[in-house]
Amino acid sequence: MSSSFGVTARCADSTDYIELSGNIDASAEQQLQMLPGMVRCQVVRIDFSRARRINSMGIALLLRCFKHIREKNKAEIVLRELNPTNTILFKMTGIFLLASHEK
Amino acid sequence: MNNNTNRHVILALFNNIADENAFRPLLEGFPKLLSLSPPPDKNHFTGIMASAHMNPSLVILSSRFYHESRPELVAELRKQYPGADILLITLATDSLPPLQQVAKDRIRHLLVTPSDDEPEGISSQRTAINKLLVRSPWELRDYVRPGCLVHEYPLNSSRQKEALIAAVEDVIGGDSIDMELLRQRASLLADEMVENALYGAPQDHDGKKLYHKGEERSIAVDENIVFRFAFDGETLAMEIADGWGTLSPEMVVDFLSRNQEGMPMEEGEAGGRGLFIIWRFLDHLHVNIRPGQKTILGGHLKAASTLDFESPSGFSISTNYTSQ
Repeated sequence: MSSSFGVTARCADSTDYIELSGNIDASAEQQLQMLPGMVRCQVVRIDFSRARRINSMGIALLLRCFKHIREKNKAEIVLRELNPTNTILFKMTGIFLLASHEK
Repeated sequence: MNNNTNRHVILALFNNIADENAFRPLLEGFPKLLSLSPPPDKNHFTGIMASAHMNPSLVILSSRFYHESRPELVAELRKQYPGADILLITLATDSLPPLQQVAKDRIRHLLVTPSDDEPEGISSQRTAINKLLVRSPWELRDYVRPGCLVHEYPLNSSRQKEALIAAVEDVIGGDSIDMELLRQRASLLADEMVENALYGAPQDHDGKKLYHKGEERSIAVDENIVFRFAFDGETLAMEIADGWGTLSPEMVVDFLSRNQEGMPMEEGEAGGRGLFIIWRFLDHLHVNIRPGQKTILGGHLKAASTLDFESPSGFSISTNYTSQ
């Protein structure tokens, strides 16, 4: 699995399906800034099954991105396929205040 | 007691006998330990302690006794024993002491004790207490089995980070869930430690960061950034040294406290989130600072440690401790 960050998005059944892959760190900044612009629907489901390491800079970028989607796009965010480490990381850094976790 | 016999004296303060008993496995056998359960009340504390003519190197304070029942106690202890370090101890099953107060009281050491009397866990914690007593810094080798290979990576470029993380992952063998989780945590910890040394430590005289996170940079020889790790099959110990020495104990506890009290929705990475993550993912965080010269930041974690958001981690932040 590549460690380079990537985003793929598609829209179906009134839901945006977004997949994040690779490491989420400072190198993800540009793509995560553009992500809110891809949102078309009121529900955004984000798949982390191909995401790898998420560091503190990645957390800061996700917080900024999710805040934008919630406040400007007025959309609900659902996170799925988080590994146990990233689940704990999201709990301790407040990500789940902006997005729900589909288990 | 004269000055000679005062060497390595421990004063331990507990809420009551039950509280003291809970920490007995951790503290039994220390030869110069005076336990008070509970200590004299507020009005008599100074007089009674002064009449005991003791001068402890270390004061151990149970978290069950901290802070609400005796808010003035830490200030009293500092006044009475200015040369003593203060160590807060708590059981893994208890909730974390209020870190804002810990920061305010300038407490630099927090030890989280397993509640199941697990001999190996207790042994590493007793080592930590002994190190505090002799003002000796944490050393990576102390927390892995004797003879365990220590891997050392001097860094000369930010480009080395991924190779270094891969080396940490490679050393953790095994397909079990515990080992997979350990690899995930280890790679995150290595990432944060390296980022801290590469982008957090280099600062100008006004404390302004010299490099932006993610920026590709070469590392000067005199920055002395060295990453070390060792894994003995159960415990992983890791540390990073930098030649900047810009971190201060106040900053460390403040960062942990601010992030623990509910994450601010800040958009940058100025709030010590990386350090907070390092602390929470380790079993115990150690920081030894020689101001303006060197910072060593590290710690250890066990493969069997529970990945639990609620369970507290310990920390130890020392200044100018030197190896014995």
